Amino acid sequence: MRNLKKWIGWTVLLIALVLYPRIFGIYYTNVFVTFAIFALFAVTLNLLLGYTGLLTFGHAMFFGTGGYATAIALERIEGLPIIAAVLIGFLAAIVLALILCPIMVRVSGTAFAMLHLAFGQLMYVLALKLRFITGGEDGVGGFDIPPLGFPGIGSVDISDPLNFYYFAVTVLGLSIWFLWFFTKTPLGSVMVGIRDNANRVNYLGFKVTQTKAVIYTLAGAFAGVAGSVYALFQNLIAADDAYHVWVSFAPIMMTMVGGISSFFGPIAGAAIFGIIEELTSRYTERVELVMGLILISIIMFAPLGFVGFVNFLKQKLIRRSAQ
Amino acid sequence: MDPTTAMYIAQGMHGLAYGMLLFLVASGLTLIFGMMGILNLAHASFFMLSAYIAYSVLHLTGNFWLALLLAPIATAIIGVLVERFLLRKVHAFGHIGELILTVGVALVILEGVKAGWGTENLPLSPPESLQGLINIAGLEYPVYRLFVIGIALLLLIILTIILYKTRLGMVVRAAVSDADMVNSLGVNVPLVFMFVFGIGTWMAGIAGVAIAPILTVFPGLADQMGMDAFIVVVVGGFGSLGGAFLVSIICGLLNSYGIQFISSLAPVLMFIFMAIVLTIKPMGLFGERE
Repeated sequence: MRNLKKWIGWTVLLIALVLYPRIFGIYYTNVFVTFAIFALFAVTLNLLLGYTGLLTFGHAMFFGTGGYATAIALERIEGLPIIAAVLIGFLAAIVLALILCPIMVRVSGTAFAMLHLAFGQLMYVLALKLRFITGGEDGVGGFDIPPLGFPGIGSVDISDPLNFYYFAVTVLGLSIWFLWFFTKTPLGSVMVGIRDNANRVNYLGFKVTQTKAVIYTLAGAFAGVAGSVYALFQNLIAADDAYHVWVSFAPIMMTMVGGISSFFGPIAGAAIFGIIEELTSRYTERVELVMGLILISIIMFAPLGFVGFVNFLKQKLIRRSAQ
Repeated sequence: MDPTTAMYIAQGMHGLAYGMLLFLVASGLTLIFGMMGILNLAHASFFMLSAYIAYSVLHLTGNFWLALLLAPIATAIIGVLVERFLLRKVHAFGHIGELILTVGVALVILEGVKAGWGTENLPLSPPESLQGLINIAGLEYPVYRLFVIGIALLLLIILTIILYKTRLGMVVRAAVSDADMVNSLGVNVPLVFMFVFGIGTWMAGIAGVAIAPILTVFPGLADQMGMDAFIVVVVGGFGSLGGAFLVSIICGLLNSYGIQFISSLAPVLMFIFMAIVLTIKPMGLFGERE
């Protein structure tokens, strides 16, 4: 029975995703792609923040590196398949994570956050200054987006917004699903153990530092995928979209707004951010002002975020029906 | 004095002036962190807000000294209100909540400033008596920068006397090292913290007014100063005033000589400095805890 319910749920979700662009049109399709990109980005951040207890102020590093790697690869390499371009973004983020992790996994708490801020700013300034690679302030843009080829079947033109939607949602959805699967593995449980009591995990014989390094690399790699899809979606990647401090803060805020304690919290947070931005930008240009006020009220009145709020309501309902 | 030496000394003095202002901002930040364990990401926003208020006061009254007096006090009042009615309420929900709250406050101040004063650079001229150059042993130097160094030194001395020679300062220092213990000894720590928050924003406010004639007033002011102040606090060690002072001066000099010699990489120098220090000493130069 429970299994059946689960399958029905997944099928409905899948059908909704397939039909979404047909119902809502191109504009909202693009809004949804933006949401999906930031949902994955926020989920990777929550892997560090919510699951492992590591706060980072420089997660944009991986997002930006993935984006730049994909964009530069498509610009420089003739006839590169689209999947390979995304993989290059993924690999570039992994390489960055592997370079950083010997330094990063030794520290925790505020030092971890601030070291990321330092390296993040370093990347930001480098992206601005190394003009011959990154194009300086203009960024890398206007590269050709190759069609998605299926060997022996044919190819699909990705530059069409509708086809791009299906491509992006597949890539991002699979990534989110993979991360969700990862949190259910034994290694995922060790990760939560490290957050709650690193010493105890250590005494139990698990390797804390190495586990942290694996999670760190994984979170960075999939943030790279989000950045890579972002670069393809905008057909442009520039330092301000890729490495700016606010790009690092956005997923933290989404995670907080959505709910830090749950895997799906960051996704809810990304959706709430998207909706607020969409609604307020119709009435006022001061989107950030509204965002700031909402952020303050959420922390004041619903500190566990959206998911926490829903759970609170659920418990209240259960208590009432029990009476 | 030959021109090269004069240039070196002038750059050194510029760096010193910036470093002193940086210390005014960073000292409040490091004390707040020491007492409450939170990074106040809105701290630099108060600094910027004060510069804007000073611009308006100067515009209305035409008196720079009045602006220097009133703007930091107004900023401190806003700071105390934010502490009392926002920060204190979320203290129970942990550090990340407080951090996000200060991000929210920073956003609101930034957008409020843009809505109220616009986004262009607003000039703020110092009074006539502080304009022009002064000749010290053959070196021509702007009077206003000397004034900035002077006012920062004065505040540094006042702060040191309050912290190390008065009973209040003793309580503050004790609360920095262990707030819970001081609280259980019967001292009203939340009240002390409100006071420290007020003093911190007041000093940031003075730095804001003092820097306005040099850099003009614009919304990016908070980002620039805020980032530098965080580096100072982190590298100096959380809660360490001496560390903050030393690193402020180092950063100021690094900045001005960096622009002189390798101008394209000057913005990165401080981050490289921070990365090196934190890699070797994760708690900062003089930090005792994380």
